[in-house]
Amino acid sequence: MRYEFRWGMLLEQPYFTWIVDAIATTLHLALLSWILALAIGIAVGVMRNTPSRALRFAGALYVEIFRNVPLLLQLFLWLYVFPELLPKHWQLYWNRLDDAPYWTAVIGLSLFTAARIAEQIRSAILAIPPGQFKAALSTGLTPFQMYRYVIVPYAVRIIIPAITSEFLTIFKNTALALTIGVAEISSVARKIEAWSFKGIEAYTVASATYVCTTIAVIVLMGWVEKRAYIPGLIKREKSDA
Amino acid sequence: MDWNVVSANFPLLMRGLGTSLQLAAVVIVLSFPIGCLIAIGRLSRRRWLSAVCAGFVHTLRSNPLVLILFWFYFSVPLIIGRSIDDGASVIVAFVVFFAAYFGEIVRAGVQSVGTRQVQAGLSSGLSYAQTMRYIVLPQAIRSMRPALTTQCIVVFQGTTVAYVIGYHELMHTTSMIAERTVRPVELYSFAAVAYFAVCYAGSLLSRHFEKQA
Amino acid sequence: MTQPIVAIRNVCLDYGGFRALDGVSLDVNVGSRIVICGPSGSGKSTLLRCVNGLEPFQSGEVFVDGVGVRTCKDLPKLRLGVGMVFQHFELYPHLSVLDNVTLAPMKAKGLSRREAEEKARHYLDRVGILDQADKFPARLSGGQQQRAAIARALTLEPKVMMFDEPTSALDPEMIGEVLKVMRDLARDGMTMLVVTHEMGFAREVADEIVFMDKGRIVEHSGVSAFFAAPKTARAREFLDRILLKI
Repeated sequence: MRYEFRWGMLLEQPYFTWIVDAIATTLHLALLSWILALAIGIAVGVMRNTPSRALRFAGALYVEIFRNVPLLLQLFLWLYVFPELLPKHWQLYWNRLDDAPYWTAVIGLSLFTAARIAEQIRSAILAIPPGQFKAALSTGLTPFQMYRYVIVPYAVRIIIPAITSEFLTIFKNTALALTIGVAEISSVARKIEAWSFKGIEAYTVASATYVCTTIAVIVLMGWVEKRAYIPGLIKREKSDA
Repeated sequence: MDWNVVSANFPLLMRGLGTSLQLAAVVIVLSFPIGCLIAIGRLSRRRWLSAVCAGFVHTLRSNPLVLILFWFYFSVPLIIGRSIDDGASVIVAFVVFFAAYFGEIVRAGVQSVGTRQVQAGLSSGLSYAQTMRYIVLPQAIRSMRPALTTQCIVVFQGTTVAYVIGYHELMHTTSMIAERTVRPVELYSFAAVAYFAVCYAGSLLSRHFEKQA
Repeated sequence: MTQPIVAIRNVCLDYGGFRALDGVSLDVNVGSRIVICGPSGSGKSTLLRCVNGLEPFQSGEVFVDGVGVRTCKDLPKLRLGVGMVFQHFELYPHLSVLDNVTLAPMKAKGLSRREAEEKARHYLDRVGILDQADKFPARLSGGQQQRAAIARALTLEPKVMMFDEPTSALDPEMIGEVLKVMRDLARDGMTMLVVTHEMGFAREVADEIVFMDKGRIVEHSGVSAFFAAPKTARAREFLDRILLKI
């Protein structure tokens, strides 16, 4: 193996600017998509537990479709197929949009992840003792208030670990946006490799970005989980002696 | 809409789907046993071994599959000193990547069996390996079947990532034809239906196992 | 007197600062039946797990038939000589009762399936559940499960049998059938080391009583002496509480 390391190259231009911009893009793409995914996911998850059959069916249909088509293909569908189905003048607007790939990635990532979050929310709601629903309604809350004040706050605490891992999943999945031309960190690493043939340095930067963010998120969410912890609400798993 | 473009290229698309399924199958068959070994390593009482296995799992799980593929695509020829074909580096990267995920599933399954069953096995004179083989693993596999099935679907969906280095699975085949014929709407829609059919069947199987458990 | 089959010598065990066993010594002679009692958390079950090497301890030594547990290179072989019965039975849920019983004889002792099944049927018959041999554990009552677990241990033909609170997970009406099996074993001369709160059983079957508290053996005496007048206040208190409840 003959390979000369040149770590200093990473601080040279244009690479350094590329890297900084790419890390920023990766982070806000992930964050924005995750927030949208949470909102949609919670809505769909609640839909799947309502008494209305039509809503339940719509929720199930959404989950099955978005979960069972690979994300990479979904990105392609949003980029190439979706604009074709728009009315003509919307199409023109979309095509004139500067960062169409970025917004395509936001749509694709958040709708894909929302299906996964909806499933977590659904099973979290199922894990809530049925007495809670009856108790909430019997104190005169409307069904919407019941979800708003009782069920969702309860369910959210149950699924904090799952939501954390969904953020990490969406964060890693941003890498797939490179296939539709978003300059996130994996694609920039590849570009640097192609320009300089310094693949190890370039990919190390990308891997370090993912690993460090993962660690930071786990630490942060561990703290959030501790803050939101209610004694006796969720049994902490303990190994038996 | 002109669906003739799909029927005209149907054999080619089916060959792509076949390649995708084949790749997924090879990756599953190779990465599951490696995952089992990693899980056993992580549960080992030897500190260094469990630390090494945990490090392997955490590193791979915090990186995206595309990047792992880039790593192997770039560094394998560098290490062995000659170029290898794309298919081989795709398989190696996928197997290593998914072994980490299978490892976590197996570990959770093994832990769900509990220490008291292990003690019962050991105290009847079975060795640690025999206790694993005859008592823990059979119970663990039963409880992991839904998660394993879901993971197999994830592997199948993951094969689309091989597109980035031009491996001829369904995703790449579809995009080639779409570019050549300039009919992306019909072709990508068809691919979506094909992927959906396979994955949905898998998710039904997973649900079936879940009901059994 | 011949050498004891199990010799526990000054065993100490720490769980990260908590002293679970604090210098425990005990001889178990061939044919003797020792009942260990004491409040929960006193280290009784831990002591049993030290005897067959399930629980590593920091100092002291346990000799089983002259072989030291801590220095033993072949623990599986040592464990073949020590049968163990657990509080929660720990039958393997994925195997039939017969397969539960034949697994260790075949895999650890190297018997053929035919020999193992022959022995298994003999012992299943002895505990009175031969007719349940082909069922899965979940189909059996608690008492039947515990008897199957006893048969599983007996089939290895161990030199000593250890029971870790064998009746405390059972419904009251099933305790009797398990105690009967244990009584029969004692009558046939089996060496037994039993952790239990069944004082009636202790009085009738045991020849020595060991009372443990906070990881130490507080009192060790003959049965009649123990029940007539416990020497320590702690043992007396414990005995009063147990006997009054029954």
